[in-house]
Amino acid sequence: MTRVGKLAATGIAVVLGLALSGCGSDDTGGATTETKTIVITVSGDTITPNGDRIEVAAGQPIELVVTADAPGEIHVHSTPEQEFEYVAGNDQKFDLTPIDRPGIVDIESHTLEKTIVQLEVR
Amino acid sequence: MGSDYDVVAHGIGGAKDLPIPPELAIAGAVAALTISFTVLALAWRQPRFDTASGRPAPAWLSRLVEAPGFLVGLRVLGFAVFTFSMAAAIFGEDSLINPFFGMFYVVLWVGLVPLSVLFGPFYRAISPVRTINKLFAKISGSDPVEGIFDYPDWLGRWPAALGLYAFVWMELVYPFSNQLGPVRLWFATYVAVMLVGGALFGNRFYANADPFEVYSTLAGHLSFFARRDGRLVLISPMANLAGVRPTPGLVAVVGVLFGSTAFDSFKDSNVWLTHTQSWDISPLLLNNIALLVFCATVGLLFGLATAATGIHDGQPRWLLPSQYAHSMVPIIVGYITAHYLTYLVFEGQQTLQQASDPFSTGADWFGTADLKVNYWLSYHGTLVATIKVAGVVIGHVLGVVAAHDRAVALLPKRHQLTGQLPLLFVMVGFTISGLYLLFAA
Repeated sequence: MTRVGKLAATGIAVVLGLALSGCGSDDTGGATTETKTIVITVSGDTITPNGDRIEVAAGQPIELVVTADAPGEIHVHSTPEQEFEYVAGNDQKFDLTPIDRPGIVDIESHTLEKTIVQLEVR
Repeated sequence: MGSDYDVVAHGIGGAKDLPIPPELAIAGAVAALTISFTVLALAWRQPRFDTASGRPAPAWLSRLVEAPGFLVGLRVLGFAVFTFSMAAAIFGEDSLINPFFGMFYVVLWVGLVPLSVLFGPFYRAISPVRTINKLFAKISGSDPVEGIFDYPDWLGRWPAALGLYAFVWMELVYPFSNQLGPVRLWFATYVAVMLVGGALFGNRFYANADPFEVYSTLAGHLSFFARRDGRLVLISPMANLAGVRPTPGLVAVVGVLFGSTAFDSFKDSNVWLTHTQSWDISPLLLNNIALLVFCATVGLLFGLATAATGIHDGQPRWLLPSQYAHSMVPIIVGYITAHYLTYLVFEGQQTLQQASDPFSTGADWFGTADLKVNYWLSYHGTLVATIKVAGVVIGHVLGVVAAHDRAVALLPKRHQLTGQLPLLFVMVGFTISGLYLLFAA
């Protein structure tokens, strides 16, 4: 077992060492107050963006600008969940309650059952 | 929530973890690669993990664990939790605040792994289906150990592999996995099949066919505890692991467990999401195919890699995959840790909160209804990422070591080194793919 133990310990040490040396490099700044605008276009069965990743800072204000050819509903899978109803028309603006907890949060079209954007909250 | 297809990442749940940073994923991959070949080059040439090793547990622990009341207590506890979950499933509301979802997807499916790794084959001790079978036997005056027929050896753990596949299909592919009716039906079917099987084949059926028991018993082989002739022994986890019974279907079980978890990561990746949304094929069909492909690929690669070796004259080659399959258990547990850590912590708290009001009547049975979920781990991303990579790498190293020990026990001297290479490559491949998926998630 000693040999196994040593090998395992080496592995853990390598991982921890590299983790600590890389530590902090993924922390992007503090709170950004600049509003992130996400432009969404719904046309028939197509939505743009199509599931793209968008990076936002924790707590950063987010605004959705929706242009659609038919009414529908957007769900934001934050905790707690947020829902927005839009109508047919151009440039309808919705403010999200800022998301404070880091993680991946999906913004989905409830109507078309598609993911529009994955927010990468950091 | 209705039929919203994408609401549920794992049956339930909201925000998901951030991907692990690339430098950490690369560090993990390098560590896995280096250690693997070091094990191969430097390690022992005689098998060391003796399943008959270990020493008797301290007297106080043996007295406690071997007391009849202890086992009865565990059965009562398991049955109480089962009854509670069934009540919520039958009388509770069809909404995601029904604790049945959390009891099923989080406490049972995910909680089973840490409990088994810590305490040994834990589900076997609390199994409500074993308890019901025992009660039936007591009433009818028969023996729960023996059924009407002998459990056929050729069937091995295949039924459990099928049951596990049915579970992961329900959790990851089926669009209505967050609705009460279908989940309740799944569980009722499980209970019914287990009771019929137990009546026909006795207790051996549960050890081979109950998906939760088979999973728990496999993970329990990584614990410090084993039973020998009814006595509790303390044993090194590696020796304990070497004691996994090789049976038909064992490779299928590990294939489903590892393949489905990898598929779950892959399904959440942005690449899969943006591609499936652009294609004209239904995502349901694509997910059905992808889950099957992931599980089958893991099983087939493992089978081919373990069988591709020089062997003794007359040694049955087709037995090799199941004789090595125990070495996948630490890899699975490591990857499950990485995959489900925050899910278990967050959704576990959520379930505790919901359990206080099982029928959505505003009740507070356990005083936990106002519990606020603690999201501390979300704010410590580097820590979470490090635990994930460490889990995957440690699991990989233990898997490689277990496979090496089995190779020197099974293979003729001159094939021991080359005979291990294919499996080592496959394991490194699994681990690097796993790390890549955590990075791309």
